[in-house]
Amino acid sequence: MQDSTNLPSSLDPSAAARQLIQQAHNQDGLPEIAIGLTFLLVSGLIGAQTVLPKGSFAAKAVIVTFAFLLPVLGFCTPSAIRWVRNRFLLARVGYVQPKPAGRQQIALGFALALLVTAALFGVVTGALRPDAWLIAGTGVLGGALAAFSGRLPRFVIYGVVMAAVGIAIALASVPIETGFTIYFGLTGLMVLVSGCVVLLKLIRQPLEAGD
Amino acid sequence: MTARIQRLADLDRTIHEPARLMVVALLAAVQEADFQYLHQATGLTKGNLSVHLSRLEEAGYIEIEKSFRGKYPLTICRLTDLGQGALATYRKVMKAAM
Repeated sequence: MQDSTNLPSSLDPSAAARQLIQQAHNQDGLPEIAIGLTFLLVSGLIGAQTVLPKGSFAAKAVIVTFAFLLPVLGFCTPSAIRWVRNRFLLARVGYVQPKPAGRQQIALGFALALLVTAALFGVVTGALRPDAWLIAGTGVLGGALAAFSGRLPRFVIYGVVMAAVGIAIALASVPIETGFTIYFGLTGLMVLVSGCVVLLKLIRQPLEAGD
Repeated sequence: MTARIQRLADLDRTIHEPARLMVVALLAAVQEADFQYLHQATGLTKGNLSVHLSRLEEAGYIEIEKSFRGKYPLTICRLTDLGQGALATYRKVMKAAM
């Protein structure tokens, strides 16, 4: 099982299985709802930071919330999604227990969460002053990630929209805080609404006869 | 080259069948999954999936445990060590032949 890279993906059962698992993971819209809510939260926090007077208690509270809430959300969201599925959607999407994450995966996830938080934290506090390419880059990279990892056609649409929004905001030459507020707000809303529609459609489907 | 191709004759036919290969590969990638999840992920009909699961259970490649979560009946499937080994061997033979 370790040397899966030596087989073409069309012949590699492990690669095919990962694709099927990813498709199954995204079929109920819950991951999109979680991502949408997180994006809206990020948008709200960045937006609040631009509106609130610098150095005020509220502005500091926003920064602290930003620093602590995002990593916590990153770690808790997969468990929360699993809990909701097992509690409310078991009969529709079934039950699956993933393999426990290895040390390498945990370390990678932690490093990525830290990097993203640090970058966003830098933008919010004004310590980081990147040019507009950062918004365009976030859009293109985020879009590519969504399109590649989603394994479903609607994720390709998200990817295209995310990249287009990122590039459009970069071309509009708005301040970076405003740009990120708009970017996360728009894409978060799109993903949240789409996830809710998918979930509602799933819930409204009649249950099949048992096995 | 011929010898490598001839190794294909050694393929484990229980696993080589596409639907069963899909089920075994899926179960190898997770700790355990229930019937409904496998049905959703593979796109197989329930009857078809049930037959393939029985074949795999007979071969000792998976173990099936029936339980309830609340009122919902769970048919949980897990890949056994024998199943893991069979999949690894299958991949090795395929890789050598291709």
